[in-house]
Amino acid sequence: MPVIAFILLGSVVLLPAVALMALRWAASSGQFRCSDKAALLPFDEVEPVGLETDRILGGNRR
Amino acid sequence: MSYGPLLFLGILFTLATSWVGLILLPHRQMGALGQHTDTNTAAIYPAVRAGEAQQGAEHYRSLGCVYCHTQQVRPEGYGSDIERGWGRRRTVSRDYIQDKTVMLGTMRTGPDLTNIGERQADAAWHYRHLYNPQITSPGSIMPPHGFLFDVRVIGQAGRSTNALVLEGTFAPPAGHEVIPSRRAEQLVAYLRSLKSSGDLPEAPVKKEEVK
Amino acid sequence: MIKQSQTLSNPTQRAQTLRALLPGDAGVDVGNRAALSEIDASCRVPVLFFFLSGLAWLLAGTVLALVASIKLHTPGFLAGWEWLTFANVRTAHLNTVIYGFASQISVGVTIWLMCRLCRIPLVAPGLVTVANLFYNIGVTVGVGGILIGDSTAIEWLEMPRYATPILFISYALIAVWTIVTFRLRAERHLYVSQWYLLAAVLWFPWLYGTAQVMLLIEPVRGVVQAAVNWWFAHNVLGLWFTPIGLASIYYFIPKVIGRPIHSYYLSVLGFWSLALFYNWNGMHHLVGGPLPSWMITVSIVASVMMLIPVITVAINHHFTMLGHFGKLKHSPTLRFMVFGAVSYTLASLQGVASALRSVSEVTHFTHHTIAHAHLGMYAFFSMVMFGAMYYILPRITQREWPSNSLISLHFWGVALGIVLYVVPMSIMGFIQGTMLNDAAVRFLDVVQFTLPWLKLRTLAGLLLAAGHVAFVINVGWLLVRMFEPYRKPVVRILTGEAETVAAAKQP
Repeated sequence: MPVIAFILLGSVVLLPAVALMALRWAASSGQFRCSDKAALLPFDEVEPVGLETDRILGGNRR
Repeated sequence: MSYGPLLFLGILFTLATSWVGLILLPHRQMGALGQHTDTNTAAIYPAVRAGEAQQGAEHYRSLGCVYCHTQQVRPEGYGSDIERGWGRRRTVSRDYIQDKTVMLGTMRTGPDLTNIGERQADAAWHYRHLYNPQITSPGSIMPPHGFLFDVRVIGQAGRSTNALVLEGTFAPPAGHEVIPSRRAEQLVAYLRSLKSSGDLPEAPVKKEEVK
Repeated sequence: MIKQSQTLSNPTQRAQTLRALLPGDAGVDVGNRAALSEIDASCRVPVLFFFLSGLAWLLAGTVLALVASIKLHTPGFLAGWEWLTFANVRTAHLNTVIYGFASQISVGVTIWLMCRLCRIPLVAPGLVTVANLFYNIGVTVGVGGILIGDSTAIEWLEMPRYATPILFISYALIAVWTIVTFRLRAERHLYVSQWYLLAAVLWFPWLYGTAQVMLLIEPVRGVVQAAVNWWFAHNVLGLWFTPIGLASIYYFIPKVIGRPIHSYYLSVLGFWSLALFYNWNGMHHLVGGPLPSWMITVSIVASVMMLIPVITVAINHHFTMLGHFGKLKHSPTLRFMVFGAVSYTLASLQGVASALRSVSEVTHFTHHTIAHAHLGMYAFFSMVMFGAMYYILPRITQREWPSNSLISLHFWGVALGIVLYVVPMSIMGFIQGTMLNDAAVRFLDVVQFTLPWLKLRTLAGLLLAAGHVAFVINVGWLLVRMFEPYRKPVVRILTGEAETVAAAKQP
């Protein structure tokens, strides 16, 4: 039981510390930049933003 | 920007946390749980199951009884398990250390069976119930388990002693009798062995009920 | 290794060659389109294998589901055959639809999405095909084992010990393939869908391996089995199906309506909060059970924390759709995806609520849980997979969907069917739980109370079955068309000008 308590308490301190460090590193090394660009990754020159690609039902089939 | 390795580590790290927390730690805490010996009566609980009952447990698993019957009694005041008479106390980890496959169950299409051996000790009841649940529990939706029984012509020596007592529409054709198969016998032995009410320090049975 | 693939099969370079061959804008367009259709075409055989075997298992699973549903309200139905007991049929249903259908479609969708987002044609098709073969052998052996009574009776892991290693090998091969594709990618930037897919293919073999070793090969003692069981079973949903479903929604909704995702920041938050919290949820299946309270409490807390990823994802999906609902009329993919996205939100909220001790006291052990499982696995996940298949199949086969009526029949059949399943069963389960918790109500009266509702479920099942048959006919028809000669514009679905693709094929 004390082993478990020790591991649990230790992880309560350690895990957030690691998470915070990772977050700081991520922010400072620019991992959060370019994120708007990443949202455009499903699109390309052939199927750019603004183009519907699955218009097959209901009258005006294209 | 390429951060594949970071992603990779993050993915492995997140699952590792619960793998340690919910698998390794509980295994450490409960994996070596042993039997309890009562200091007054020297009774050992939970007892090892007899061989026949152990084989019956395999049939219980194979027939999938667990999909409609639980084997866990929730604590007093949480649900009506104890009021319904399904157990005299809640079940705890130690109750299950003798089970090869722990079949707690998640569905109560049928009643809980934790203490069915105590609640219904009569083997004949179990045979008739398994043969066709409508005999003992009209309105039940438990499927009949006729395949666990043999229908035979009554021999020269007359009716077998272990033949089921069946009446009315449930009776076999004239001159025939219904005999439990080996599997049915083992299954019923297992059901009758289901008793999780030993007095444990972590789950005491209320004093006035202990004889 | 990376270099080699770029010189041999980099579609971007091939696209540049095509661009040079044709004058002006037309050249650019044709070149890019050719690159895109080359990726799609490279996926054709392996993805079709996964989709078609998945659909075969879907039909088998549907029949088993109907038999199980009827057996529950009419116990005498087919009662003579031991291999068709309710428990066997129910278990075979779960394993065919989870491992045979849902997982195989997932893998097909994963392969196609990975190729598209990494912008490279499918690598090592042989590996994928072998994985598929192994997989189907594994499921066949496993489900056969269940029907002959070799079920392990461990929920979600019923396949006998002689079947599961075959499946494990298959999952491991898929994981290897995904990592290789990921390493060879031509597009260095990562889209959120790729995170989810990579996570799913890495998490699952780990889960499956742990569960196999600790439950089947070297079983642990006592209720630790239950802990491993529910850690595994809940994570199959949370760390295998959910990420693949969300990856699909993140790709297809923006792709179909032509609008980037509402907020990329939120998608990052959603991914990592899911990764952190979901894998701690499993013990909420054991509330009130014989396990240490700390385990159950930890899982309840983690379940409530799931509100963060769920709300994040909900905002992201639903806000992306704002102002574009008119497009639901035209795109089957969008219909199924949006239905799935809404169901994901609802299923998750229901899941969070059911994890609470006070709610679980009533709903645990009842049909409420069954309804919840179908809301998650069907109304969310299967619907999303149907939507993905509506998008992928025409592109990999270069053929149009043959019948719009069958598409509508499929959508309305399964949409009405699953609503008719989940809503009444959720309500019924709640009442059933209340009755069970009142010791004054006889147990057999509770059983009798459920009967009419269970009959309604069979009706809902018939609607679902009709939808499945419509879809399978449409897919079969599409395949027949694949073997017909190239007639006329067959890829107008891509955007319209199909002729240019035909032209690109013979420059």
